[in-house]
Amino acid sequence: MKRFWILSIAAVVALSVVVAADLTKLEAQMTGSRVTIDGTSTVHDWTVQGGIIGGVLELDSKFIADPTKAQPGKVDAKVQATIPVRTIKEVHGRKSMDDIMHEAMKQKVQPKIEYRLTELTLKETPKSAEGPFNFDSKGELAVAGVTNKVAFPVTMTRVDKTKMKTSGTTSVKMTSFGIQPPSPKIALGFISTGDDVKITFEWMTAAPETK
Amino acid sequence: MNNLPESQPNAFASDMTRRGFVKTSSFAAAMSMLGGIPLVAQQEKNETPAASGSTVKCAVIGCNIWGREILNMLARLPKAEVIAVCDRYEASLRRAKEAAPKAEGYADYTKVLENKDVQAVLIATPSHQHKEIVLAALKAGKHVYCEAPLANTIEDARAIARAARDSAKSYFQAGLLLRSDPQRKFLLPFVRSGATGHNVKTRGQWHRKMSWRRSSPLPEREKELNWRLRKEDSTGLIGEIGIQQIDAMHWFLNKRPVSVTGFGGILSWQDGRNVEDTAQVVFQYEDGTSFNYEASLATSFDSEYEILYGTDAAIMLRGNKAWLFKEADSPLLGWEVYARKDQFFKETGIALVADASKADAAKSAKDGKDDDGGDPPLRHALDSFLANTELISNAIEDFVSTFNATDMKALTEYLAGIQKSKLPAATYMDGFESTVTCIKANEAVAKKQTIKFEKEWFEI
Repeated sequence: MKRFWILSIAAVVALSVVVAADLTKLEAQMTGSRVTIDGTSTVHDWTVQGGIIGGVLELDSKFIADPTKAQPGKVDAKVQATIPVRTIKEVHGRKSMDDIMHEAMKQKVQPKIEYRLTELTLKETPKSAEGPFNFDSKGELAVAGVTNKVAFPVTMTRVDKTKMKTSGTTSVKMTSFGIQPPSPKIALGFISTGDDVKITFEWMTAAPETK
Repeated sequence: MNNLPESQPNAFASDMTRRGFVKTSSFAAAMSMLGGIPLVAQQEKNETPAASGSTVKCAVIGCNIWGREILNMLARLPKAEVIAVCDRYEASLRRAKEAAPKAEGYADYTKVLENKDVQAVLIATPSHQHKEIVLAALKAGKHVYCEAPLANTIEDARAIARAARDSAKSYFQAGLLLRSDPQRKFLLPFVRSGATGHNVKTRGQWHRKMSWRRSSPLPEREKELNWRLRKEDSTGLIGEIGIQQIDAMHWFLNKRPVSVTGFGGILSWQDGRNVEDTAQVVFQYEDGTSFNYEASLATSFDSEYEILYGTDAAIMLRGNKAWLFKEADSPLLGWEVYARKDQFFKETGIALVADASKADAAKSAKDGKDDDGGDPPLRHALDSFLANTELISNAIEDFVSTFNATDMKALTEYLAGIQKSKLPAATYMDGFESTVTCIKANEAVAKKQTIKFEKEWFEI
């Protein structure tokens, strides 16, 4: 009886270790990623963009091997992503706005925005091996020295044999990260920036070899 | 230099024949740009400066008069940290260290380039010595500011342009100062919008009575100092001085000449030099218009200016000030009613000021005060150089630290994507094209001939 229990516990542990360890690592690519932040102000809406998202995406190898067989539910995954604050720039090249934004985001305190995934849940069985794969994500986002829990849907799509594109969008309030919406002085008074911003991202990752 | 009489708004109003306010797309654009939207030139002065506290570590190579001018200007810019000064001549180096007390002195520029802390070099040596230093600096991975003209031969200028093109990780800026001037940048869309009608001719001049000869107790040093007066080394008044205004006009006109005719001679300073002290060039364009540029060391009258003559108005530019002179039959621009006017003999010039809100214009009209004209062009050019160097430097640092690797193709692609965030400045192509233009114009002066521009000369 005891041996049975020991064996079964050992089997469960072994199985879970095997399951947990078999993640395929996909590294951030140097091109193909983009983060866009849309916001408002009393004068005009604004958009800033960055072309660098670094880090690693690790995804259950079984899922990658045959996504069409995956059942809705939790998927083994890890994400560690970084965006250097300085790489986010106003889309029309307004450098003065970049300087104000980077200071508001406390670039010197925390030079890189960090994201860590805590849970990934597949919403429905993918129809094609290429995707799209629709998930709900939960994670932690750290900006300007403040970490907040964030949750938003993400979609993954295979891009050729090795690459995976992850995209998603979410809204946050600047003040929730301790960021004071900037009110820069202009010739005729002040501009007041809105607290709500929409973050949209596309993240290109790739496995080191063909699967 | 410019002694302007009190403005007389009432005299102006009665002189003009008003045909009513014609709203063509170009005038609407010009009006909205000047009347409604807070303009960038003054706006950036009022915004809180980014308290980044970071500096660009610079070296100035070539520390005679102009190099020291650059040092004095850098000393006023918080973003600049001059850590090295270099000159082969001891007295120049000594004076340079007075202008930059914290900098280390070097007699050999190669040692400056070996200093890993130096991020950017500003090269203000005689023009014919630029190439060797620029190429070495770019090879050493430094960001480069190279004075204009880039070189005294087309081959050397091309070598510089090619090296700048091929050094994706270095920021290169040519010393064409007006390309960074906010007042000029503000006027560019105004001119291009057709507010002056279409251009029929252009004129520019630079007059200053001076010998251009430098002296030294040492004969060898004196020979070295007077490279400008020798044909073998110098591109003359047109290349060394005229290039700034000639480039500025070609930038505004958005065209390059098809031919240039030169006139000139040694009319006043017959002291053994073989470079003309008075030169006139006429640039001709495909559309039949021409640009007449004159420079002289023999007369000071009326100093420096450029005038763009259009069918609806002429614009006169003196440094960073500008005036609009309208034709009697050109449409009324709504904003001009409130603008300050200055009298020039029989002509009434409407002052074009970057941040002229109605309130400002009315105030200055009442006071009759001449505005301060803003900072010198060198300051804006150096501001741009430092900001852009930092932009490129930071971008490379962020890219490399994020990916722990450098894929040159990916990095070049990334840097190309952030070019629009740069502050305005002369690129290597701007520097190269204007250098070639002025080298040939100077040649036309020497030969007293017309030279037709060949396309190949402008290719790198």
